[in-house]
Amino acid sequence: MLSTEVLAVFLPLLGFVLAGALGRRLGAHGAEYLTTALMLTAAALSISLFGTYALDGQHTTITLMSWMSVGPLSVDWALRFDALTAVMLVVVNGVSAMVHLYSIGYMHHDPHRPRFFAYLSLFTFAMLMLVTADNLIQLFFGWEGVGLASYLLINFWYKKPSANAASMKAFLVNRVGDFGFALGIMGIYFAFGTVSFDGIFNQLGIETSFKLFGWTLDAVTLSCLLLFMGAMGKSAQLGLHTWLPDAMEGPTPVSALIHAATMVTAGVFMLCRLSPLFETVPEVLAVVTILGALTAFVAATIGLTQFDIKRVIAYSTMSQLGYMFFAVGVGAYGAAMFHLMTHAFFKALLFLGAGSVIHALSDEQDLRNMGGLWKKIPVTWALMWIGSLALAGVPLFAGYYSKDIILESAWASHSAAGQFAWYMGIAAAFMTAFYSWRLLLMAFHGQPRASAEVMSHVHESPFVMLLPLLVLAVGALGSGAYAYDWFVGEGRFEFWRTTLAVGEHDVIHAAHDVTGWVKHMPTLMGVSGIFLAFIAYLWVPKLPGALVRMFPSLHALFYRKWLFDELYNALCIRPALCLGRVFWQSGDVRLIDGLGPNKFAEATKNAADELHAAQSGYVYHYAFVVVFGLAALLIWLTW
Amino acid sequence: METFLAYLNEAPGTVLPGLMFYVLAIVLLYAGVMVITARNPVHSVLFLILAFFNAAGLFLLLGAEFIAMLLVIVYVGAVAVLFLFVVMMLDIDFEQLRKGFVRNLPLGLLAGVVLAAQGIMFAISWSFAEGAKEGKGPTVLSSATNTEQIGQVLYTHYMLPFQVAGLVLLVAMIGAIVLTHRGNTGVKRQKVAAQNSRRPADVLKLNSVNPGEGV
Amino acid sequence: MDLLSLSTLLPEITLTLAALLLLMVGVFMGDRVTNAVTQFAVLALLLVAAALGATMWGVEADFHLTGPQGFVDVSLFTSLIKLMVLITAAGALLLATGYLRREEIYKPEYAVLVLLAVTGMCLMLSASNFLMLYMGLEMQSLCLYVLAAFRRDATRATEAGLKYFVLGALASGLLLYGISLVYGFTGSLSFAEVATALSQDSSRGALVGFGFILVALLFKVSVAPFHMWVPDVYEGAPTPVTAFFSVVPKIAAFGLLMKVCYGPFAPLQDKWLWLLPVLAAITMLWGAIAAIGQTNLKRLLAYSSIGHVGFALMGLAANDPRSVIVYLAFYAVMSLGVFAVLLLMHRDERMLETIDDLAGLSRVHPGLAAAMAILMFSMAGIPPLVGFFTKLYVFVAAVQADLIWLAVIGAVASVVGAYYYLNVIKVMYFDEPVAKYDRFTDGNLTGTVTAMAVLSVAGLLLIAPVVMLAQYAVHLLKP
Repeated sequence: MLSTEVLAVFLPLLGFVLAGALGRRLGAHGAEYLTTALMLTAAALSISLFGTYALDGQHTTITLMSWMSVGPLSVDWALRFDALTAVMLVVVNGVSAMVHLYSIGYMHHDPHRPRFFAYLSLFTFAMLMLVTADNLIQLFFGWEGVGLASYLLINFWYKKPSANAASMKAFLVNRVGDFGFALGIMGIYFAFGTVSFDGIFNQLGIETSFKLFGWTLDAVTLSCLLLFMGAMGKSAQLGLHTWLPDAMEGPTPVSALIHAATMVTAGVFMLCRLSPLFETVPEVLAVVTILGALTAFVAATIGLTQFDIKRVIAYSTMSQLGYMFFAVGVGAYGAAMFHLMTHAFFKALLFLGAGSVIHALSDEQDLRNMGGLWKKIPVTWALMWIGSLALAGVPLFAGYYSKDIILESAWASHSAAGQFAWYMGIAAAFMTAFYSWRLLLMAFHGQPRASAEVMSHVHESPFVMLLPLLVLAVGALGSGAYAYDWFVGEGRFEFWRTTLAVGEHDVIHAAHDVTGWVKHMPTLMGVSGIFLAFIAYLWVPKLPGALVRMFPSLHALFYRKWLFDELYNALCIRPALCLGRVFWQSGDVRLIDGLGPNKFAEATKNAADELHAAQSGYVYHYAFVVVFGLAALLIWLTW
Repeated sequence: METFLAYLNEAPGTVLPGLMFYVLAIVLLYAGVMVITARNPVHSVLFLILAFFNAAGLFLLLGAEFIAMLLVIVYVGAVAVLFLFVVMMLDIDFEQLRKGFVRNLPLGLLAGVVLAAQGIMFAISWSFAEGAKEGKGPTVLSSATNTEQIGQVLYTHYMLPFQVAGLVLLVAMIGAIVLTHRGNTGVKRQKVAAQNSRRPADVLKLNSVNPGEGV
Repeated sequence: MDLLSLSTLLPEITLTLAALLLLMVGVFMGDRVTNAVTQFAVLALLLVAAALGATMWGVEADFHLTGPQGFVDVSLFTSLIKLMVLITAAGALLLATGYLRREEIYKPEYAVLVLLAVTGMCLMLSASNFLMLYMGLEMQSLCLYVLAAFRRDATRATEAGLKYFVLGALASGLLLYGISLVYGFTGSLSFAEVATALSQDSSRGALVGFGFILVALLFKVSVAPFHMWVPDVYEGAPTPVTAFFSVVPKIAAFGLLMKVCYGPFAPLQDKWLWLLPVLAAITMLWGAIAAIGQTNLKRLLAYSSIGHVGFALMGLAANDPRSVIVYLAFYAVMSLGVFAVLLLMHRDERMLETIDDLAGLSRVHPGLAAAMAILMFSMAGIPPLVGFFTKLYVFVAAVQADLIWLAVIGAVASVVGAYYYLNVIKVMYFDEPVAKYDRFTDGNLTGTVTAMAVLSVAGLLLIAPVVMLAQYAVHLLKP
């Protein structure tokens, strides 16, 4: 029973239970060491599983127990292991282990570390349930589990009102997506009569339709759209993305783990897991492509203007997720997974590096108050450079391989949506490089803008924080080149086998054959973006201000995040609150309480007073009531 | 359907008894109303006595002379006289009691009118069950006077209710004693046995007192 | 008068002889023998109950026996009601001793009056003739008037007795008037002949007579709006007398009501089935609502008993006398238990009667508070206590009789009633304690409280046999 597979999944749960239940007894150190040790073990096991299931090409399903059996619906708790799961296992457990380790240093001031580590482990377990799911219901369990853990961790400093608000926002926005997701699962069950992946894939091409308000809709298409809606929520795609930047209110390790490397990629994973199904609905894939491309572009534009170091990285994350989505949309699932993996490394590296900066500057997050740090924290500086180079797609770094193959696939897909995605992606690539270096230059180079007192405290992070950074840096440096062949290269069929669908038109194959300028365009864009950033933020510092003055409305649009929050406020939140108030004040208080319990209680009390008054104590009153009652009774009786 | 009034008209001696009935009934009703409305409580009791007499007259008309005599002896002779004594002995402010009477009169009248209307309604639509008029009680010698007839059944057929009535009276007696009797603790009685059992040795003490020393 | 027909009166004769004997002993030996007299009275009640129970054992469901001159008629139904009356009367008498001693009114007459009252109840239950009915009813009523005023030096007690007497006399007058009207129609006072006459031909006069009789009986049962005397009398009467009133005469009067409704007036069933649901609804609501805001526990329990009468009447209104018997049997258990708690509450030799005196009881007397809480929950009808199941029985009866509206009103009344029952529990468990009560020296009371609380819990198991018994008992009543 306690096989490697089971241990890799359930060790984090054990960590959660122990740290959560016995946190007080274990003490802060005990809890963090215990969970970290369990996580490291799980990570090591994951690597061995990667060997078994990805490299050796095996696959298996371990059924733990039956979960529910309702009529024709039967759901098992089962762990499905194949290449896709193995990749995700390495990413999730690897990054999670690094983040656990990092948090020992980062959180060492915090008195509630047992809780923090318990949540982290809970999150990891939920994420593992998600990636090892054998059916949609279990996947949904993990999906909701990571949502819960995300909520708890964003709100970890629950005394901060902004953290409260952010966590609620994350939860509510995700709820919109999850609602769609749940409907999608029901639709799938309606269409296929099963929720297990194998069962669905065995009946592809089925023709079922819904009748809705007189329309006839194809059940599979609609269900896939709804499933994608869930993915949009979890992976912060345009429209349901507003929670992600706010989620940066959580501790930085949380941002690195949940909001960069793992949870937000759940949508991508889900689409890849269901790729055989999505291949049958090209309309939905077109929607995915366009929305992913728009997300990549819009998020990058916003990232250009933000000053909060974590928010810049958050928008960058969103933008990169857009890449993954349009990769899925054009059918390059391997490329999407490839970028997911490399992105996990370099984005976690960037977040943890940013955390290191924040840590060094005594919790300062505003880029305008940084600058000139590179001499004081050289290791962090170097590692941030590596991360940024990978993000910008500079050759030989991880991001170069994955991003290029995505863009090439988009070009090679020869569809309108793919072309659109390519242009958006190229533009986003340029902006990505630009804002990455804007961040680097503003934070580490130039003159120090922080107060002398803060600067005097600036110090390199302890080894326990640097070690995970180094490990991730190795990933950011090497994972692209090393894994290229497995994920998208010649060995991809051997590697993925049947887990990822390949369309009639193999876009990844086509991507290798695109013309030269298309191949070099991303690199060119990245390098020129870096160059421009140097001009604007190091050599000609007046340039950004001048640009802002030249295009004030455009800057405002970017800086205010394309007014999504304002739009939602006006369109949804305020009307909802209004409606809520109406229902509360006039519906609940006045109508239901007023006429229901309160009115009833009041009427009862009044009636009691009346009856007390009748009970005067005079015999002749009582006698009179008896006689009166007699008269009434006789009338009633002789009627 | 036979009505009550028709039944009355068939009673023996058609004209005079009928007339007597109406006279007695009207006086009875008048006396009844006066009992409650008279200002002087002594007058009320006197009207009550008048009502009893008229009721006794009605019983006589029905040929129930024993009950008529009982009514006069027990109610007029004992109960009403007792009432009279009590009313005269108690110092009750009847004016005070009367205040509530006027205030509650409308509602009281309403209930009274309703009940009276119902009474009239059932009286005029009265009917008898089969064999009701002949009576379904125990058989008695019809030639005997009704005092004799009562004597024939009271201790035979009605033995059980009679005994229970005795018990009810016993309860009334116990109740009266329990509620009012107080053992007299201050009474000095002669205790013959105690007196007889007294011996000089118990109560006498001889002291020899030397002269000039005092006791 | 043959011996077999006389045997129908054996319980009454025995009780009367016992009462007379004890009266003589009491008169001649004085207050010294009060304790012995009381214990002997309890013994007599229980012996008669045992004998009665023994005769019920093994007889057929349609067993019935007519007494001398057809004045009485006993069946399993009358025997069961009598059994309940006898046992509860013995219990109520046991509860009284401590109180009477403390108030210095511990006299032999108390037990004698209780015995005579029970005799009267048995007689009226046996009655198969209106004359007999009246005699029995009057006999028990007279005893009750005296008992209510038994603490003759307390103004409130004498006031209660007087009120009860005056209003009771009014009811007796109505009863007699009704009887005379019925007699006028049928020419007979015998239940059987009245039933025969009414089934052949009915007149408005007889109907009005029935109305008068019904009002008088409803007055005794304390159905609204003929219940007005109840709160005043319950509050004013000495507490053990209130305990007695709330259970024993109520059961007897209910038994009589059922016997009369299903006996001489069975032909008028349509009429009273048309009338009783409304009265049941009024009674339930009145009992539940008027109890709100009461501070005196005895007054509260008076309204509570009115409410319970309403529920029991719902069973009769649903034409299911079985559920009435079941309801009354367990109501007696709960009521006696609560009154035993009330009788235990005294401090500095003074009785405590208000709800505030229960404050913080859970901390100073946790056992007593727990028992009281069980009894209150049971009275409120909260599962799994027995009060829930008895309520359920009458509700089911009402629903089966297509009286869904009545069941709904019953549910509403239960909810309102739960308010004051739970309020008592709240005061006991969440208010600040005042002070300890005097030591509980009365074993009868503590024993009763424990037993009744246990019965309220164990009623879950006992209810099935009781239902069976009631089923047998009503076999002849409602063919």
